[in-house]
Amino acid sequence: MKKTIQIPLGSQHISLLEPIRFKFECENEKIIGVDADVGFVHRGVELACTRSFEFKQVGYVVARVCGLCAITHSLSYTLAVEKLLGYEANDRIKYLRMLMVELDRIHSHMLCLAHTAENAGFEALFMQIMADRELVMDLQEAISGNRVQFDFIAIGGVNRDLTPELTSLIHKNLTLLSEKIDTLIGLFDNNWSLSLKYKGVGVLSLEDAYTYNALGPLARATGLATDVRVETSDFPYEAIGYKMVLESTGDIYARNFVRLREIVNSIAMCKNIADNLPSGEILEKTKGKPKGEAVVRVEAPRGELFYLVRGNGGNMLERVRIKTPTFSGIPAMMEVFKGSEYADAPAILASFDPCMSCTAK
Amino acid sequence: MMKYEITLATLLADIGAFYEPKKWHFLTVNGIDLGEGKIELQWIFSKYHVKDEIVIYYAISDYETPIPSVVSLIPSAFMGEREIVDMFGLTVEGAEKGLYLDEDSLPHPLRGES
Repeated sequence: MKKTIQIPLGSQHISLLEPIRFKFECENEKIIGVDADVGFVHRGVELACTRSFEFKQVGYVVARVCGLCAITHSLSYTLAVEKLLGYEANDRIKYLRMLMVELDRIHSHMLCLAHTAENAGFEALFMQIMADRELVMDLQEAISGNRVQFDFIAIGGVNRDLTPELTSLIHKNLTLLSEKIDTLIGLFDNNWSLSLKYKGVGVLSLEDAYTYNALGPLARATGLATDVRVETSDFPYEAIGYKMVLESTGDIYARNFVRLREIVNSIAMCKNIADNLPSGEILEKTKGKPKGEAVVRVEAPRGELFYLVRGNGGNMLERVRIKTPTFSGIPAMMEVFKGSEYADAPAILASFDPCMSCTAK
Repeated sequence: MMKYEITLATLLADIGAFYEPKKWHFLTVNGIDLGEGKIELQWIFSKYHVKDEIVIYYAISDYETPIPSVVSLIPSAFMGEREIVDMFGLTVEGAEKGLYLDEDSLPHPLRGES
């Protein structure tokens, strides 16, 4: 009988600083079984949304679920409440919301790519990508007034408008960023540590992507053509130049390239929005209190974010259900780990871009 | 959004007849406390490549009745099942406690009585 040993990865681990623990069962260096523990920092946000805050405040509470996709959380919740109130935002509001979500995607993908570089031993590139990411962070700060917890989305619209100065800044920073991303694409394609070393590692097959309901960049790297941006009609993504990015090999390399090419597409979409912003109010009055049940899906940087909101016509909601991308991605992650070398686990994990802040909401 | 009421007794048969992995994306298992010891359990799906098509199968149960697991049909469902075990204190076949909550946490925080 072969001897197996248990090896933990996280949460106090040099290559996984997030509050999640994977327990690997290894035979020699190969992972043959895996279990996950995601509850280290559970914060009870769903409970707080129905017991401690009125529905008008909850959008600002759920923005605190995550420091990377705060806009996506507040947007998803707000869309759900607006559906219950029978309100549909005008095009200007939709465009401004899309702008912030796509900026979120750019900086979140860059953070993931930085971590992937770091796990390849490419510390200098990690620093460089994080420095380049500031171009987007500066934009978000200039537009929303905040750097991380933006509080930009409001029920009935958004809290700030674009000025001509901000439009110029968007063009300036995103043009600069485009050049940096072109360089990064070359590096991720040609550098040995980032390209050849990651080809064929951490493979999720298309079949398994369906079986384990993979989502977001993880699914698109296998060739599974799913993206909430084109599976809902809440936003006119086609009008601003959305293109689905697909790879087919399902490995770390493919996941990196989905993110790199999505950044290119998001930059183009943000510039389109800035140039073609429709006219209209940025904040409209909504009437009534949420009654009934609404579900909303929004494509967060890591994949589908799902909100279910149920109200009874009062100020307090009956249920706010948040289902985050990382939570849904864990079954596929666990499947990829099985059969992989333990030494590859940190790089595989980084390529999934897990967000425990969202998961332990 | 389409909602279909089912019973726990027919859950596996109903989901089994409906679910095709290449057509439907399984979103999650959800619970909503209805008060007076009743709970609404939901199994939620969206259709690939189609806009706005969401299907919810739901069953009304109480806290004590064991819930059949759909993992044999949908392998990724174990996360949602473990979540409702922790948050509502329910029993789901094969699902362990402790995904989210530690032993010294509040028991079943999302129950109405909590």
